[in-house]
Amino acid sequence: MKSEVSQPLSSIRALELSEIWAGPFCGCLLGDMGAEVIKIESIQRIGRGPITPPPNAGGYPDDDPGKEPWNRQSNFNAINRNKKSLTLDLKTPQGLTSFKDLVSQSDVVFCNYARTVMENFGLSYEQVRKIKPDIIYMLMPGYGNDGPYANYRSMGMAIDAITGHSFLRGYPDLNHSSNSLVHHPDAVAATNGVMALTSALVYRAKTGKGQFIDLSQAESFMTHLGEIYLENQMTSSIRKRRGNRHPDFAPQGVYKCSGDDNWIAISIKTEKEWCELKTIVGDDSLGETGLDSLEGRLKNHDHLDNVINKWASTRDRYDALTLLQAAGITSGVVIDCGADSYADPHLNERDFFQIVDHPAAGLYPMTGPIFKFESDHGRVTHNPAPCLGQDNESILEELLGYSRETINKFKTDEIIGTVPLPGSDMGGSRRVAKQKEENSKD
Amino acid sequence: MPYGALEEIIVLDLSDRLAASFCAKTLGLYGCEVIKVEPLSGDPLRRWTNSNPDNQSGDSPLFLHLNAGKKSITLNLDEAKGQNILAALMKVCDVVVETQRPGHLDKIGLAYNQIKKSNPSVIFTSITPYGQTGPYKDFHYDELTLFAMTGAMYREGLPEREPLRYSGEIAQYFAGNAAAAATTAALFKRTLTGQGDWLDISIQECMAGHPHQIGRRAPFIYAGEPDPRSQPRTSASGAREPYAVGTFQCKDGYFSFLPLGPRMWPNIAKMIDREDLLVDPKYDDTVKRSQNREELEAIFQAWVDDKTREEIFQAVQAAGVPGSPILQPEEVHKNEQFQERGFFQNVGHPNGQTLRMTGDPFRFSNAPTSSIKAAPKLGQNTNEVLTKLLELSDDQIEILAMEKII
Repeated sequence: MKSEVSQPLSSIRALELSEIWAGPFCGCLLGDMGAEVIKIESIQRIGRGPITPPPNAGGYPDDDPGKEPWNRQSNFNAINRNKKSLTLDLKTPQGLTSFKDLVSQSDVVFCNYARTVMENFGLSYEQVRKIKPDIIYMLMPGYGNDGPYANYRSMGMAIDAITGHSFLRGYPDLNHSSNSLVHHPDAVAATNGVMALTSALVYRAKTGKGQFIDLSQAESFMTHLGEIYLENQMTSSIRKRRGNRHPDFAPQGVYKCSGDDNWIAISIKTEKEWCELKTIVGDDSLGETGLDSLEGRLKNHDHLDNVINKWASTRDRYDALTLLQAAGITSGVVIDCGADSYADPHLNERDFFQIVDHPAAGLYPMTGPIFKFESDHGRVTHNPAPCLGQDNESILEELLGYSRETINKFKTDEIIGTVPLPGSDMGGSRRVAKQKEENSKD
Repeated sequence: MPYGALEEIIVLDLSDRLAASFCAKTLGLYGCEVIKVEPLSGDPLRRWTNSNPDNQSGDSPLFLHLNAGKKSITLNLDEAKGQNILAALMKVCDVVVETQRPGHLDKIGLAYNQIKKSNPSVIFTSITPYGQTGPYKDFHYDELTLFAMTGAMYREGLPEREPLRYSGEIAQYFAGNAAAAATTAALFKRTLTGQGDWLDISIQECMAGHPHQIGRRAPFIYAGEPDPRSQPRTSASGAREPYAVGTFQCKDGYFSFLPLGPRMWPNIAKMIDREDLLVDPKYDDTVKRSQNREELEAIFQAWVDDKTREEIFQAVQAAGVPGSPILQPEEVHKNEQFQERGFFQNVGHPNGQTLRMTGDPFRFSNAPTSSIKAAPKLGQNTNEVLTKLLELSDDQIEILAMEKII
């Protein structure tokens, strides 16, 4: 354990073995709260996009992948803030020994690779706890660590489908083939992962005991849909797709404002809001007494939508928002993740974006941490995502006490490195890469 | 089955909206004693969709889910006496989860900065739609309007139609979950230092700082890439093998696929029994497969057409192609994986109903366990809590009841 305690988790060292979203976002939140998060990567297999991106790949600063595309990839850099990077070839005895040495000085190990990956390295919980008995060790596969689906591959969209969320979303007048894929469960696995690890840390502080944590990404997300399952059991009605509507409120929807693809969301929940909306929209047909009840408004929802759309069509979305909020009407503009969010006065006033100087990608305002602790006095830590293997030498030398000679040998033997090996972006091992090289020579 | 990692922590739940209520529930699932403080008329969420006569308690499924395992006390906070009791409870509890309009607690002397003088180790978790500061802090909100303001809605739906929200109450649950995790981190620091903290959680920021919104914002700021709504097969995640991505209608429902780029092409061809396509010059690279995507999609759909979701599920697992069947909520209850793991648990409600509730998002190997309890009836634990935590006598409690304070 590290010594100083300033941020909530600054005494904690965590080892992350993860890629894509769920595990990396879990590590990101731990790092935001002060933990030293060491991302274990390898030059034999990278999860940082292609080594030689195809033309127009997108996602690189100024559309230029540069000499080190793996250090400039937007998604990787966005979600790996506040971490260190150590590359280790865990398929070699030296790499494995280094990992175990690191475990003996760490508090947390978590992995969101397929369930059997750690076991195959010889790093199952049973093996790791022999090195560090009070280690907190979490696996977070799609469906949990046992049951008939234990070894099933899954991704956020698969969880979205199997939990029923996909069934319930989309346009009510179209079938499910028009649905986009939604990967939200990745993020839920991450926040639940942080919940699991931090509560295990509290328990360890009280009892000295470590923990194996079995996190199911599906079950994590299902706790966010609990009322839907319960409703299904308790009532005879089966919930239908609602689109942007809700059976308890009307009118409710997203209406097109002036300009290109600009929208305002409005939700009338109370009689007072309905009266205010009638005044603001000012269309005679809204004055019919039949519309003063929720039932009447639900029945005439399509008509109400037409009237509100007509009203909105000539208005600037932010002007409409100001007007509606001033009248106490529940409303919001639809903002995108680009220009709109960067221009949003509220997010800016709350310092949601942080200017980050990334050594390989440059200076950009990036999305910052989502938690504000009073004890941080408004300061937010936002170190740029690490370059591949950026912390190899400092970790091996300062933390593990390896000699310069050993470290140099590690480099020569490709146990560590800062440049991915050919083929390491193919999701396969270096053996595959070598095979490809040989094939191309023939 | 709650895992008692956070036993002996007392949480005062002042929520009247979803995110904060779920935050407190999550803390309870890991052993905290959660005391829900309700107005005499009850939490408004008790009366939500489907709080109908089929349901003996009268409470909505949403309330029953969000409050499973909590205790309930009633307290009239419009009266000074009620506020004094709340102040006394805040002084002896470990965590306060609250969702009042920013500034409201200051007015009645119950804000963090006022309470910490007598309880320096208390953790206040404030969860509001837009946080404690900034021009939107007093905005009226619900799931729809807040979801719109996070960036998540803009790209959801078809390009020629209006943007869509997710189903359920996803943004609020997500923020509640994140807030519970941050609260537990603060609890960890407190076990080492004894110091409390105040967390300012904005639901908007939780969703806007969500991995998928970050993943769209970064390409924009790096290279000006927009991310508009697009047809499902040509979305950002689908464009790499655009004929076999997204949701397809099959014999008994719908199935969603997400092949991960060109290396999946051989797996797909083999899965649909068309390895002949691998040597067809019309389809032998990504660009050509994209150009001829409609023909390929028709071939793929033909394979899907006469199969059940279960048959396809077995096939994608064997072929290593990510995919899952779309289940209806009642099918989720019956699914073999969730059954085998005992995820849903039967919980007896005080009114005699047996409810099938969702269980634990994660499991511990090494912590005490207990069973999930039902949501409380309104004020079910008022006497017990006031006696235990504030040492009030039966007479004092009776007077408070007569004065309509509790």
